[in-house]
Amino acid sequence: MKKVIEVKSLTKEYKGLRAVDDLSFDVYSGEILGLLGPNGSGKSTTINCLLSLLKFQTGSIQIFGKSMSPTAYEIKKQIGVVFQEVAVFQELTVRENIEYFCGLYIKNKKMRNEYVEEAIQLVGLEEFKKFYPKQLSGGLLRRLNIACGIAHKPKLIFLDEPTVAVDPQSRNHILDGIKRLRNEGATIIYTTHYMEEVEILCDRVIILDKGKIIASGTPDELKELAKIEEKVSVEIEKISTEKLEEMKRFKNVDDVKYIDGILVVTYQKGKNNLIHLIDYLKKENLQYNKIYSERPTLNDVFLELTGKELRD
Amino acid sequence: MTVFKAYLKVLNKNKALVILYTVLLIFFASFNMKTNSVGTFVAEKPNVLIVNQDENRGITKSLIQYITQNSTIVRVKENDSSINDALFYRDVSYIIYLPHHFRNDFLSGKNPKIEVKSTGDYNASLASMMLERYLKVATTYREVEKDEASLVKMIEETLDHQVDIEMTSKLDSNQLMKARDFYNFSNYSLLAGCVFVICFIVASFKDENIRKRTMVSSLDMKKYNQQLLFANGLFALTLWFLYVLLSFILVGKSILDFHGLLFLFNSFVFMVVALTFGLLIGNLVQNKEAIGGIVNVVALGSSFLCGAFVPMEWLPDFVLKIAHIFPSYYYISNNHFISSLEYFELSWSFVMNIGMLLLFGVLFILITNIISKRK
Repeated sequence: MKKVIEVKSLTKEYKGLRAVDDLSFDVYSGEILGLLGPNGSGKSTTINCLLSLLKFQTGSIQIFGKSMSPTAYEIKKQIGVVFQEVAVFQELTVRENIEYFCGLYIKNKKMRNEYVEEAIQLVGLEEFKKFYPKQLSGGLLRRLNIACGIAHKPKLIFLDEPTVAVDPQSRNHILDGIKRLRNEGATIIYTTHYMEEVEILCDRVIILDKGKIIASGTPDELKELAKIEEKVSVEIEKISTEKLEEMKRFKNVDDVKYIDGILVVTYQKGKNNLIHLIDYLKKENLQYNKIYSERPTLNDVFLELTGKELRD
Repeated sequence: MTVFKAYLKVLNKNKALVILYTVLLIFFASFNMKTNSVGTFVAEKPNVLIVNQDENRGITKSLIQYITQNSTIVRVKENDSSINDALFYRDVSYIIYLPHHFRNDFLSGKNPKIEVKSTGDYNASLASMMLERYLKVATTYREVEKDEASLVKMIEETLDHQVDIEMTSKLDSNQLMKARDFYNFSNYSLLAGCVFVICFIVASFKDENIRKRTMVSSLDMKKYNQQLLFANGLFALTLWFLYVLLSFILVGKSILDFHGLLFLFNSFVFMVVALTFGLLIGNLVQNKEAIGGIVNVVALGSSFLCGAFVPMEWLPDFVLKIAHIFPSYYYISNNHFISSLEYFELSWSFVMNIGMLLLFGVLFILITNIISKRK
């Protein structure tokens, strides 16, 4: 696959503190790359370096095979950015905002009008064209923010937490839109705090911590990195500490926790773990309600690798 | 021209501010003009008392008639106490005592002494001038005409010549005062209008997130800044032109001469300073709520201190000393200078004031550049 971005040994320091530490990675044409990491892990700094908004000490960044710089306007023409903070003019209507930001790239008026209409359609703002930003809900505002960033049909799109504080309807709209952009051939770098979005959207994921890549691969490959293979959760009213300790000694059990009425037993490997657990509960006359088994999620991987929840 | 067009759209949303400052300017300028004075001339009529101790005929009658026609004759009891009271309470400004044998003495070539009492004010001077005028004309004709009837006729014909005065002279001080007041007040409107609107629009364009989005776009940042500067300049120029047009509408064609040109030039230079100041504040302050406060402090404060609302000559010395730190001071000083000119003349102080205004402009640009680079 063709490389769209090639980052080599990127290092960025702020007053002696390494925000990005010898980072190297590639992004390939047509993929959605998820960039994950807890707050302060260097995600935003990396993106800002990629966009030439920040200078860096060492390393190189090539985008579309050319060196990226603040004056690399030919490269910038093909990039679209949706920042986490909504960046629109309060004095302009929805359509005027999209037209303005599209106009920074597209000079041809006819083509621009077409692109603007398509962007409005993509994010589902057809009924709100003449609305001013302050008249929009948080979700609609986020959709406008996205439309402003992608209206000029860029080949490479940076999406920085585009679904933060968005209602489910708007989130679905946004996620569908992103899938459509990918299907139309765009390469997307996506940062988010929502693991389920990563699992739905991303072809590949890079996990950053303290400015370094600590893991990368497809979501399935990352899940393989987890020590656990199965997680069984049981809704149970009461259970003694002795019983919990007893369960920890079961074959293949990695850990046993009892939090807020939920017993969570994690297994490193093995088959029929659920059946064995149910047998034990019956034998010990422990009453339970719901019981379910699941594969480890990316969140478990993230927790295991960084020691932090993604939202920390 | 994407940025320029967006600027105009944002300006359109802020047009209420421009209208507000223009309405304020029209209101205060019109108010000033009404209170200043009118454009017609009405002769003053002083209050005069004539105590005639002579016979009321011939040249004496003619003199009394002339004074009566051109003044308001006051009737007071002809005793010293009443006359002095009337003078003290200013019921009468001028008292003329025509002596016994005034007519005979005058016709015989003597110059009879006419006693007068006066309050010494402006009205008294007018009455005095009237009396002197009559006597001068009468004395002149007396040399050539000995017949009393003919003499009286000649005097009255000469004094009857009325002059219609129309205030259209090149140095129409009343109109110039109006123009000066208008341009002085425009100090506030131009400064507040420019700073307020430019700051509001610049704050929108320089919003951190919008700026970031612009910086990652393919638009050359130099071109972006040039378009913003051009749009701001065009706005300031339009505002200035609007106010100049208003000045000609409100003050009239009487300043369509070198006065008008100088007012125009002075306000143009001030507009440039207001523009640079607006850009400076716009770069310093991003918070739209704070902009209103800053404009009020700077525009209103400097306008008060520099004599935009109150004539400079009424301001205490220490206030005028403080006013030197504001560009408005130099602009208003020049307005005063222009309104006092009888003929075209560029004094050193006028040129110095223009120089000071331009220096302020350069200083504001330098500070704006330093701030922009640091950001």
